[in-house]
Amino acid sequence: MTLTAVTTTEAPAPPTRPVWRVPPTVVVSFVVVALVLAWSIAPGVFSHQNPVDGIPSELFRPPSGAHWFGTDHLGRDEFARVVHGTASSVSSALVAVLIGLVVGGLFGLLSGFFGGLVDTTLARFVDVLLAIPSFLMAVVIVSALGFQTINAAVATGVSAVAVFARVLRSEVLKARSAVFVEASLLLGGSRASVLFRHVLPNASRSVLQLAVLQFGLSILTIASLAFLGYGDPPPASDWGLLISSGREYPLAPWLVWAPAVVTIVTVLSVNRISRWLRKTD
Amino acid sequence: MSRGYLPFALRRAGQAVLVILLAYVATFVVISVLPGDPVTATLRNPQNGFTEEQIARIVSYYGLDRPVLVQLWEALSRFVTGDLGVSLRSNRPVADMIGEVVPSTLVLAGASLGLALLLAFGIAFGVRYLPRPFGPALRSVPSLFLSVPGFLVGLLLIQIFSFGLGLFRAIDADSPWATFFAALTLGVWVSAQVAEVLIANLDREAEQDYAGVARARGLGQARLLLRHLLKPSALPVVTVLAVMIGEVLGGAVITEAVFGRTGLGSLVESSVASQDLPVLQAVVSLAAVVFVLVNLLADLVYPLLDPRVTVVRPEARVAVA
Repeated sequence: MTLTAVTTTEAPAPPTRPVWRVPPTVVVSFVVVALVLAWSIAPGVFSHQNPVDGIPSELFRPPSGAHWFGTDHLGRDEFARVVHGTASSVSSALVAVLIGLVVGGLFGLLSGFFGGLVDTTLARFVDVLLAIPSFLMAVVIVSALGFQTINAAVATGVSAVAVFARVLRSEVLKARSAVFVEASLLLGGSRASVLFRHVLPNASRSVLQLAVLQFGLSILTIASLAFLGYGDPPPASDWGLLISSGREYPLAPWLVWAPAVVTIVTVLSVNRISRWLRKTD
Repeated sequence: MSRGYLPFALRRAGQAVLVILLAYVATFVVISVLPGDPVTATLRNPQNGFTEEQIARIVSYYGLDRPVLVQLWEALSRFVTGDLGVSLRSNRPVADMIGEVVPSTLVLAGASLGLALLLAFGIAFGVRYLPRPFGPALRSVPSLFLSVPGFLVGLLLIQIFSFGLGLFRAIDADSPWATFFAALTLGVWVSAQVAEVLIANLDREAEQDYAGVARARGLGQARLLLRHLLKPSALPVVTVLAVMIGEVLGGAVITEAVFGRTGLGSLVESSVASQDLPVLQAVVSLAAVVFVLVNLLADLVYPLLDPRVTVVRPEARVAVA
C-alpha cells in the first residue's frame, strides 16, 4: 500500500542480498532432477536388473524389497524399466528444449535486434507457429518423421520455437532500449558485439527460466506422444509408454502408478526450479 | 470505443486471414516433406482395393503428379473455397467426416472451458480468502496441475469414479458423467493456467492505491473483491482463455483416446495411424482456423471490455498473456 514507484521487483529486497538462500523445496527439486539425470546417463548403476528380459516365474509381483516398483506381465522389474526409460523420456526433453532454444532464440534475437522488415516477417512466422495448436503440431511432425522418440523430441522442440522466439524478442527489445546499449553503439561498438556482449547476457536470465519451464512441459509432451504410441515401440520403456501399457493390467495398478509418480515428481521438481528462478530474478 | 478502433480491427482481421493461409501452407509443407510416398503406398495397399484407374484418378485429383508448388496452390485454393479434399482411407469427403465428429468435440471443449473457469475462480478466491493454512496451500495447486500429464488425470478419474465408485461405465463414452470427467480432464490443465493469471492479477490489484482507499473507507474483503478487484483481475482471463483454445484442441487428442470418445482428437489419432494425410491436414488447419478466429474475436472484444486498453499500440496488451 505504499507508493509503488520505487522498485519494480515484487520482493522487498534487502539492500545486502543474502548469499544463496535456497528454500528447502528447491533443494529437494534439484536433488530429484539430478537423480533423474543420473538415471538417464548411467541407468545400470541404479538398477542391476534386466529391463528387457523378464523372469517368467515372477509375473505381476507387487512392489517389494526385491522389486521396488513390482514386476510386469513378462516378469520384468518395473523399476529397471523406469530407470532405463529415463534416457529417452528425459534426454529427449532436453533435445526438445535445445531445438526450441536455438531456433526460437535465433528468431527472437534477429527479430528484436534488427526490427523493421526482419521483425515483421519473423513475427508473422511466429504467429503461424502459435496458431497451430502445439500438441497437434507435434503429432503432425512426428507422424511425418516417423514414430521414434527422437522424432517426438524434434516435434516437441519445433512446437516450442514460437514461445522462445517471443520471449527472446521482448527481452532483446527491453535490453536494446537500455542506456548502456545505446552508449556502446555510440562508442562505435559493432552491432554483433553489442548483441553478444550486452543484449544476450541481459536476456539470458528469463530465457533460462523459460528453458527450465519448457523442459518440464517437454517431458509431459513427450510422455503424451509416447502414451499415444508415437515414440519408440516396446521393449523401449519411455515413461508414457509404460503408463500406456500398464493400463492393460488393472489388477497390477503399480504398473501405471510407478511411472506416473516418477513423471509427476520429476515435472513438479522442474517446475519448482523454474518458479524459483523467476522469483529470484 | 475510440477513434482508432476501426483501423485496428481491420488490420487485425487482415492479419488473421494471412496467418490462417500461412498456417495451411505450413501444415502442407510439413506433411508433404514426408520422406517416402505414403500416399501412393496407402493407395496401393491391396486392403483398400483401389483399381489402377481409381489410383490414377485420385493421384491426379490431388495433383500428385505435378510440382509441389502447383500442388500447394491448388490445395490452397480448394481450402479457401471450403473443399477439404477426400479421405485416402474411406474415400469420403473430409468435410463430412469432420462434420460428424465436431459436435462431440465442441461439447467436450465447451464443458472443459466452463469447468476450467469454475475451478480457476475457486482456486484464486480460495487463495485470497481461505484462512491461513488452506489459502496459501492452494497457491501451489496450479503448479501441481501443470505437472500432471493430461492422460494421467483421465486415468485417475476413470479409476476412481468408474472402476471404484461405479459412477459411470467407462465403455459408454457419451454418457453425461463420462463427458463430465473427460471435460474435467481437459479442464484441469486449462484451469491451472487461468488460475495463475487470476492469482497474480488479484495480488497486484489488491496492492493498488484504489484498493487501499476502498479498504480505508471500511469496505469488507468480500465487497472489495466483488466491487473493485474482480473486474480488472478477470478481464485478462479473456485473452488467456482464447490462447487456451489451442491447448484444448490439442488435448482433445489425448482425452478422447483415454475416454474412448469419438471426436476431432480421435479423428487425428486414426488418421495418423492410417497415414490419411488429407484428413490430418484438414483437421490441423481447421484447428488453426479456430484458434486464429477465437483470438481475433478476443482481441477485437477486449478493448471494448477494458477501458484501460487503447488500440493505439495493440502489442502492449499481448504481454498480459
